[in-house]
Amino acid sequence: MTSQVDVAQTPPPVMGFYDGPMWASIRERSMRLQYCLDCGQTQYPPGPVCPHCLSSNLEWRAVSGRGKIISWVVYHRTYLDAYPEPYNVIAVKLAEGPIIASNLEGPAPDKNWIGEPVRMVYSTMPDGFVLPRFILDRNSGST
Amino acid sequence: MSRGTGNFVNFGRPPSSRLSRAAAIVGVGHTDWVGDWKRVRSGEKPTDSYGYGAIAFRAALADCGLTRTDIDGVIVGPTTAYERMAEVIGIDPRWGDQSDARLSVVQAVMAIEAGVAETVALVYGNDQRSAKIQYGGPQAMGGGAFLNYVYHSPWGLTSQGALYALTFRAWANARGFEPDDLGYVAVAQRGWAAMNPNAIQRKRITLEDYRNAQYICEPLRLYDYCQINDGGVALIVTTAERAARLAKPAVYVQGFGRRDLNREATCMVPRLIDYYLPAQQDAARQSYEMAGLGPADMDAFGVYDSFSVHVPLALEGYGYCKLGEVGRLFREQGIGPGGKLPTNTSGGHLSETYMQGWAHQIECVRQLRGECGERQVPNCRHVHYTEDVVGNAVSIIYSR
Repeated sequence: MTSQVDVAQTPPPVMGFYDGPMWASIRERSMRLQYCLDCGQTQYPPGPVCPHCLSSNLEWRAVSGRGKIISWVVYHRTYLDAYPEPYNVIAVKLAEGPIIASNLEGPAPDKNWIGEPVRMVYSTMPDGFVLPRFILDRNSGST
Repeated sequence: MSRGTGNFVNFGRPPSSRLSRAAAIVGVGHTDWVGDWKRVRSGEKPTDSYGYGAIAFRAALADCGLTRTDIDGVIVGPTTAYERMAEVIGIDPRWGDQSDARLSVVQAVMAIEAGVAETVALVYGNDQRSAKIQYGGPQAMGGGAFLNYVYHSPWGLTSQGALYALTFRAWANARGFEPDDLGYVAVAQRGWAAMNPNAIQRKRITLEDYRNAQYICEPLRLYDYCQINDGGVALIVTTAERAARLAKPAVYVQGFGRRDLNREATCMVPRLIDYYLPAQQDAARQSYEMAGLGPADMDAFGVYDSFSVHVPLALEGYGYCKLGEVGRLFREQGIGPGGKLPTNTSGGHLSETYMQGWAHQIECVRQLRGECGERQVPNCRHVHYTEDVVGNAVSIIYSR
């Protein structure tokens, strides 16, 4: 069995005053973001007011997990123990609006990844940290 | 989600025309980038950030013939504390601040025109190589102040290079830009650096060398990244009146403009949806109107280039070509030696020295003074310097 010290640490998230509930929801495998009850926009990262209308009338709502890749890169250098090269980073535009950075797991598109529909999955890192990631959603219609 | 250019308050409204040619850069100085690069690479630490700043300041004073007692304003770079840097160079100013390269020039002009200072020293020193600074880590560049640099670290996205790689991929896809054409930037700037004795990387490269180089963060390759080195830069800015009495030709700030994209920055909307374009266009419009000039009047172009990606975005953003035509500009007009639009003629961050935009101001001054030797742009009258770091666009037009 691998001892605790040998397990690569997932780089810790920024944990500001409003980030806690989001990461708790990710640990529960149901990522929630703040939805503005006044203007209907969803925000990421979490914050004190809706940046679109300045309302404080916010409600944590589970995201659909559906989205589309809008850009991607492949690291060919290792900067972090938890991320040996090569690994990818994708930018996903969620159906709810915000763009989040993540990683694509499983099969990758042959050529251009941009525009590919994806679906959120929850990955447990070797140190136990849970991350929202994505897989291709080949069954989805165009979003 | 795209904000569109019409959403800005006071879109394109230029700063007061009183500021145009109110102040001039009269002195420039810097450290021995090449010598210190070699010393640091062999394990020495020539000095610290304050030492690099002080050496550059001494050189800038010598360059303009002023003395320390003429200085009544000090702006230091973000890598040194204001009070300590001013203490090290022994100045009790009546006005002082801390800022980055582009904004320190703008702030000096505003302070001088407002009369709160007459002659301002801008001093930057950075021991980033010998101190092994990691850019992109939470401690770098203001950390949490720019959440988009650090928020995505749990997914392994922690480097500046990766953010620009993401930007480049989305932009190239939207514009139909052939990714390998990005190599024109590194090749052109190395061509300039080959003619610059102050440049650290002077070996010419070809497009083939570019394509054969390893990927760091695909689609960006080795030559798309700047190197990190130690050094310092200082600039002396004074009133137009005083500048006219000094020995070397004054280089006036003819126009400037700024627009910042902060909305949805952690979501990377300014990068991945807007490609910084609305900010660049607005900063450009302000500076052109203030200067009474346009892109066709510019004899040389400078771009903050921590990564080559900045250059194509700036060329379309500041109006040097239509959207989607950067590849053609590279191939048919050229930005390197012999090209129609000389760009980053010192070699820039990619090849000369990574002084976080400060050394670019020196190159603008030297081109306008006609001091650039082999790489001198003939009859250089106007030089345009631009930055678009973190979606904050600044445009400065320097004129003789």
